[in-house]
Amino acid sequence: MRDGVFAARLGIPAVAILTEEFVTQGDFVARAVGMPAVPRVVIEHPVSGTGKENLERVARLVAPKIIAAFAEGRA
Amino acid sequence: MKSRLHTSYDEATALEELHQRGWTDGLPVVIPTVERVEQMLLGGGLDPDIILGHVGPGYGEATVEKVAVNAVMAGCLPEHFPVVIAAVRAVCDDGFDLGVLQSTTHALGPVVIVNGPAREICGNIASGWGALGPGHRANASIGRALRLVLGNIGGAQPGISDMAVLGQPGKFTACFAEAEETSPFPPLHVARGFGPDQSAVTVVGVEAPHSVIATPDGDDPDAADRMLRTLAASIANAGANSTYGGQGTTLVVLNPAHARILEKGGHTRESVQQKLHEYAVTPKRVLNTWAPMRMHPAENGDELVRAIASPEKVVVAVAGGEGIYSAVFNCWGGGEHAVVPVTTEIEIGQACELPVGPVGGAVHA
Repeated sequence: MRDGVFAARLGIPAVAILTEEFVTQGDFVARAVGMPAVPRVVIEHPVSGTGKENLERVARLVAPKIIAAFAEGRA
Repeated sequence: MKSRLHTSYDEATALEELHQRGWTDGLPVVIPTVERVEQMLLGGGLDPDIILGHVGPGYGEATVEKVAVNAVMAGCLPEHFPVVIAAVRAVCDDGFDLGVLQSTTHALGPVVIVNGPAREICGNIASGWGALGPGHRANASIGRALRLVLGNIGGAQPGISDMAVLGQPGKFTACFAEAEETSPFPPLHVARGFGPDQSAVTVVGVEAPHSVIATPDGDDPDAADRMLRTLAASIANAGANSTYGGQGTTLVVLNPAHARILEKGGHTRESVQQKLHEYAVTPKRVLNTWAPMRMHPAENGDELVRAIASPEKVVVAVAGGEGIYSAVFNCWGGGEHAVVPVTTEIEIGQACELPVGPVGGAVHA
């Protein structure tokens, strides 16, 4: 979330990606760093260490959401 | 009420007097007025005169009433009190070696693990994110109540009777519930002989937690074994007391994600204990080089020195959020019984109905 905000501040279109378990924390960070509406896409938790096949499955699910976030001008 | 009554001008003055008498842990406490102590006693539902045990190193008598006074001071609610009672009973068990545990120069304290329905009934004791950190009232208050009992009834005072060279922050409070719902293993108290519908505390006398990072690869068939070896490396090293004593009991708290990886790798709690016993070793050569004053003669340098003498000398619990960190709490090895973990039932059916209304009144300590 912090990276997304800082990238956006540099003028780089950004979408923050966070897992379900970190939604509340992500909202908190977004408020704390002064960009509560920073675009974000939520993915399942956990993804770390879940294996190549699962990571590819998650990537296929999340990629259209990220593209949509950019396309809708929310990023 | 049999405890001595003290009077003070007001609560602020009473607080300063409690600090001056050495009856606090250094932080502000709730003033234990008669009314507050009586409310706490209702939460436990036991006769105030019952002796729960004798608290080393001073071996003061821990009556239910005296423990209630300390629970009030710690900030407990009456519904927390049955857990405090069980924890006091547990640490007073002879096997826990509380007198020497509190006196040693090593930095040890009891960690309280709560299992069963009491986790919810007794004030929602946290088992998830940051369960051992700040922000959970029940966890903080219950652990602190036990600490105040150890000081005020047991007489443990730093530099006088508690000779811990540095101490550690876990001696303020250390209490969490096991994450039974997200754990792949049976609850800890069930593994230790209680029924799943019973509630229990397990106390383990250990050091501060050391956070252990493990980032397993889901495609790696040896992920579980690598994780066990990583945990073991944090247990056995030249700076760990258990390497030299070898008879103490280590505590390992797995976060649920790590526990599931171990379960996926075919492990049970018991096999995790077995593997940690096997893997937590240090070559004698290393110890000879770095710690020659210790008890390892120079010969047989290839011999491996175990930090966990047998599989039952490691307690495995599951708690925390989902992530890449678990925790190892190393141990000591001293004491007549080498500080055996103790599991005691929490009696939650004894609580009385609490009267409604504000609580205040005369100062009592």
